[in-house]
Amino acid sequence: MAKTYAPTDLIANRRLYWIAAGLAVVMMAPVLWIIGLSIKDNAELMRGTQQVFSAPYTVVNYLNILKSSNVFGWFLNSLIVALGQTVGVLILSSLAGYAFARLEFPFRRTLFVIVLFGLAVPEQVVIIARHQMFNWFGLHNTHIALILPGLSSAFGVFLMAQFFRAIPRDIDEAALLDNTPPFRIFWRVLMPLTLPAQATLGIFTFLLAWNDYWWPLISATKKEMFTLTIGIASSQTNFAQSEGLGFLSAQAVFAALPIVVVYIFFQRHIVTAVSGGAVK
Amino acid sequence: MSAAIEIQSVTKRYGALTVLDDISLTITPGEFVVFLGPSGCGKSTLLRMIAGLEAVDAGEIHLGGRRIDTLAPGQRGVAMVFQSYALYPHMTVAKNMAFGLENIGLEAAEITRRVTEAARVLEIDHLLDRKPAKLSGGQRQRVAIGRAIVKEPMAFLFDEPLSNLDAALRGRTRLELAQLHQRLGATMIFVTHDQVEAMTLADRIVIMNGRKIEQIGTPMDIYHRPKTRFVAEFVGSPAMSMLPVAAVTAESVEIAGLGRIAAQLPGLSGFDAAGAVLGVRAEDAHVLPADQSGLPFTISVVERLGDRTLLYGRLGTVCDLVVEDTGRSTAVAGQTVSVGFNPAALHLFDAAGRACDGLGG
Repeated sequence: MAKTYAPTDLIANRRLYWIAAGLAVVMMAPVLWIIGLSIKDNAELMRGTQQVFSAPYTVVNYLNILKSSNVFGWFLNSLIVALGQTVGVLILSSLAGYAFARLEFPFRRTLFVIVLFGLAVPEQVVIIARHQMFNWFGLHNTHIALILPGLSSAFGVFLMAQFFRAIPRDIDEAALLDNTPPFRIFWRVLMPLTLPAQATLGIFTFLLAWNDYWWPLISATKKEMFTLTIGIASSQTNFAQSEGLGFLSAQAVFAALPIVVVYIFFQRHIVTAVSGGAVK
Repeated sequence: MSAAIEIQSVTKRYGALTVLDDISLTITPGEFVVFLGPSGCGKSTLLRMIAGLEAVDAGEIHLGGRRIDTLAPGQRGVAMVFQSYALYPHMTVAKNMAFGLENIGLEAAEITRRVTEAARVLEIDHLLDRKPAKLSGGQRQRVAIGRAIVKEPMAFLFDEPLSNLDAALRGRTRLELAQLHQRLGATMIFVTHDQVEAMTLADRIVIMNGRKIEQIGTPMDIYHRPKTRFVAEFVGSPAMSMLPVAAVTAESVEIAGLGRIAAQLPGLSGFDAAGAVLGVRAEDAHVLPADQSGLPFTISVVERLGDRTLLYGRLGTVCDLVVEDTGRSTAVAGQTVSVGFNPAALHLFDAAGRACDGLGG
């Protein structure tokens, strides 16, 4: 029999919609605010940010990004770092995950536990040692320095290992009987089956790398090596940001564009990943 | 192409646990052999050892005169159909079938010829461009068989391939497998715990239990001449009833607490009746007419199957018994009737479960 809904259920549902709508407004308000600021003249904003509610509006801040800002260079740095880390994490985590899930080797369980410890150790604990190491090797102010620390992803190894474990062993065995060499089993048979996990891991890694602030702040001290997060922070002209607020907002909007694009294209995977269903 | 398989004193251990103990078996070229046994008896393990998916701890396996237990799975000349079918989900049907052939560097034209031919034989040629997710269970099963056929192996190995199909499809596929075996004439080993599959498909059945082979024989041998009590009880539906024996002669058996029944028991010399049991299949026990006397049988459940009726109940107060009656049986639960037995079809087992020579064995 079809389920019937009492009127009270509908009212409860309507209330939930209103609560959800209210929360959505709270979430969207800062985004709309900064977009509003980015299309206002800097001098006008000096008189007060309430000017955002009244015309005239302008795209001059965005034109200034194209003309004079370092944002493009920082954008490129962020892109190199985020893509480099994403590709690296996908490769290394897939290989390590496959090894932990499928290969027999000494101390496999112990090593997996050690890798998982990485999930529990905050970055702050290792940052001084890492800084010294990169200093000794003369790697600071390079793209390599910005990419390398993010490649050892405990989360990535864990996610991929779990995903490989979820693939029935019959598939590997069928491939073995099909005379398939071990690396071809990994690459041609199993890897294509992990695409959902790869998408999840890739998106998370890209977003984390794109938004990372702390390590680039330490490693990139030259202006031309800044990533967007560091570059925009360095553009603040004074503590209260009473000057150049429109320009700064335009840079922030510009910096967020790739994230928005990633989100629009991979929305389904992100929702799945956040809801914890990616491995199923 | 078909070849003989020889399994010589094969043993398999997982740590301290021995799952197969000194198994020997010879399968002739073109034979359809079924490994039958309860869950955990080691039948799938033995099949996987032949395939190369489990290591052999002791003994040897030969295929077509060549020792194969030291070879990689892909180089043994066998093809396997898995219970789950194990199709590659991201590949089309054609690619699934061709993948193994590409790995051995076969020419593209030959791969296409084999795939097309196998698809035609299995009537899946219209599915070649589909992926497994778009196929029904039966179609996936055919693709898995097709993947095995294109390799032209010396032996086919089937690991419970029908267990994921519904009852109707399982029956149809069983028939098709039998036809396929006739057409290919290939050596086939089929693992199942379903005795109907075993009885209908096998040239010979290998009954396995507790790390050992209990009996090897044709389906009729296994059914009519079980060598052990386990085989007698495992094969046949309903299971063979076991009646406690007090004494036994060549012409009769005394059922403990009930009386004597007529029997034809040759080869009794040296048989120890202590702890022995008499095995009776339902079709060899029958309800006697009211004017004939037999052993008292109180019916507790009447199971009507249309062409016959199965009566479940107690023989006196001694033991359970299943009796087969006609489809038009008027028996009702709670009724007490007299039952008799076919003296030529009784099975005597000693306390250790071994059949009396000249009867079961």
